[in-house]
Amino acid sequence: MRRLLYVCLVVALLTTFAISAAPSAAQTDNLQSCVENYDASVDYFPQKTDLQFAVGWEVEYHNNYKIVRVTTPWRDATESFTYVLVQCGTPAPDTAADEALKAAQVIEVPINSLISMSTTDLPGIVAIGEVEKLIGLDSFLWTNTPEIRARIDEGKLIEVGSGAQVNVEAVLNAAPSLVMTNGFGNPDFDAHPKLIEAGIKVAVNGDYMETTPLGRAEWLKFTAVFFNREAEAGAYFSKVAEEYQRLASLTERVSTRPTVLLNAPFDNVWSVPGGTSYTAQLMRDAGASYLWADDTTTGAIPLSFEAVFEKARDAEFWINPSFYDSLKAVQDADARFADFAAVKSGNVWNYVARVNANGGNDYFETGAARPDLVLADLIKILHPELLPDHELYFYRQLK
Amino acid sequence: MAQTILKASYTPVIAAAPRYPARPVLPLMVALGAALLISFVASIAVGSVSIPLEDILTVLLGGEPTRAAWTQIVLNFRLPKALTAILAGAALAVGGLMMQTLFRNPLTDPFALGISSGASLGVALIVLTAGVGSTLLAGFSLTGDLGLALAASLGAAAVMVLVLFAARRIQHNYGLLILGLMFGYAFGALVSLLLYFSVAERIQAYVNWTFGSFGGVTWRQMNIFAPVVLIGLGMTLRLRKALNALLLGETYAQSMGIHVARARFGIVVSTALLAGAVTAFCGPIAFLGLAVPHLARAIFRTADHQRLLPGSAILGAIVALVADLIAQLPGAGVILPLNAVMALIGAPVVITIILRGRTTRAFER
Repeated sequence: MRRLLYVCLVVALLTTFAISAAPSAAQTDNLQSCVENYDASVDYFPQKTDLQFAVGWEVEYHNNYKIVRVTTPWRDATESFTYVLVQCGTPAPDTAADEALKAAQVIEVPINSLISMSTTDLPGIVAIGEVEKLIGLDSFLWTNTPEIRARIDEGKLIEVGSGAQVNVEAVLNAAPSLVMTNGFGNPDFDAHPKLIEAGIKVAVNGDYMETTPLGRAEWLKFTAVFFNREAEAGAYFSKVAEEYQRLASLTERVSTRPTVLLNAPFDNVWSVPGGTSYTAQLMRDAGASYLWADDTTTGAIPLSFEAVFEKARDAEFWINPSFYDSLKAVQDADARFADFAAVKSGNVWNYVARVNANGGNDYFETGAARPDLVLADLIKILHPELLPDHELYFYRQLK
Repeated sequence: MAQTILKASYTPVIAAAPRYPARPVLPLMVALGAALLISFVASIAVGSVSIPLEDILTVLLGGEPTRAAWTQIVLNFRLPKALTAILAGAALAVGGLMMQTLFRNPLTDPFALGISSGASLGVALIVLTAGVGSTLLAGFSLTGDLGLALAASLGAAAVMVLVLFAARRIQHNYGLLILGLMFGYAFGALVSLLLYFSVAERIQAYVNWTFGSFGGVTWRQMNIFAPVVLIGLGMTLRLRKALNALLLGETYAQSMGIHVARARFGIVVSTALLAGAVTAFCGPIAFLGLAVPHLARAIFRTADHQRLLPGSAILGAIVALVADLIAQLPGAGVILPLNAVMALIGAPVVITIILRGRTTRAFER
């Protein structure tokens, strides 16, 4: 009896193996290798990306290639960037014949190596499990992400310099499948014109132009499409987005919304974030009454010190006062800061808790990919009763 | 053409050509004084925040205005800003006048000695380096709200000492001019390096500083700024004769019994004080120091420093007040970079003057 049971079990196991080893009719995962027998009827990207919040880029799937368009690479951009990502081992579409794809860069995916020129890319690279394929950074100075720091310490990464000062020879020598960089539409600052001219594939990342925290974080999916890691990026981002929305819903019913002043002036010019900017959105979701919330600018508004003083003298909180890390530093910079109510009551908070020795701030690195963590900090500051157990991650009260 | 100018430059002429006789001084001075007073009042009355005139008067007379914040705005923002503009404008104009005379070159300004580059390096060290600069200053126990100004002053002073040291060895004024340029390049290069290794926020802080502003001076800083500028301006009173003589060339000055080396020393020290203080507290304010002396020569129709020194000082103060007023875009809240405004309104004025050929004459004869 027992022997019969064993036989049955073995047979059952063997059948399972046989079934799983047989070529499946439909592929279920995006490939991490090249296709050996190309079949035009096969959908090689069964795991697709759909964008919920990001508005600066889009992706369109075909059977063996994806078309990625970065529509807002920088402010007031008149040019956009198109990429044709072709599954390795399959034929590229005829881009020369297509007017819309004529200027596109054709890139074979999944890419084998990447040089990143912005710290905001790094948490995403870790999230999709492609740390090993990162071969270079613009600079080691600003990096905080532990997984990447470990690679730096192991000597696995190279430094290539940033912006127009990029070391083209070093990049050529490293021969990455792709360089990812931010563009500003100004040849004095941009690295991509030089690199493209040298024949390097360059993805221009416009994450910083997104005006919502989740939109900015969703750009990790942009990194992921080059690695065929849509599934990993989607799973990671969904968790972040759900947590962000859960936190934001906590503040929907708050009875009081404390008034908030943001940033700090330099030489009489106080650049405050516009009412529809990234930071203003964070403030809204954190249950703050941001003093310039009614403004419609997405960027920053350069105001005079006296204009800000008149409006914000009595603001309850002063948040993000640039790089000041103590109340003394604030007052030393300009004695007139002492007249602000927030300074008098000590309600000055800044994202200076995680800054490395060179001034590289993790707020701009991890914070870009984890807006839920940033929002939790802000809610803890403005409405501590809503998150009694949260420990501040990026922020610190200035003493 | 070049040769004629070269030859002509040895012809001693102080007064302007008879075609444009020098204007009578007293009425001009009264008019300029009135203009200065009007701009000063406007500068206090008008700003990015609209405050009714009667409230401003109430504040100035020590009363309670309609809104409490207005007291602080008038007393702690506008008043020190207007005073700073007057002092800085006068300082730069006088500094520019002296440099143009010393080098007999209409294109020089008070920063010809490389002083602003020295100050820029001082500021860059503080603003751009997260720890190094402030640690350095803490070593000198110079932290506090004067830290930035002191760093800039130290930078300016360092260049000044270098220039003065060189001035004793270099025989010709042109050598000094080239030396100043070289200091400028060298210090500028160091600043670029610091910028390259700095984070975005700090770069922004530094860039804002280079835009220039009269609004950063608080009353505490005024305690230092005002005396230094007044001392610098006071020194120039003793240099009038020497400046007139130098305009005609060093040889001529010597023949008139001027101790050239001593005069040069005095001019360099006072210009360094004036330009150094302004750069330290307001940032590198460009243009004013170059343009106002030309304006003054055109208005007074003279090359006589007896009139040009006070004339440039008052004109400089007026120009500074007006430029600052425009930069505030009254009522709009938004603020424009002062240096941009200065150049935008000033360049056409200077171009007109040059085209009418009234000002460069002093250098051609």
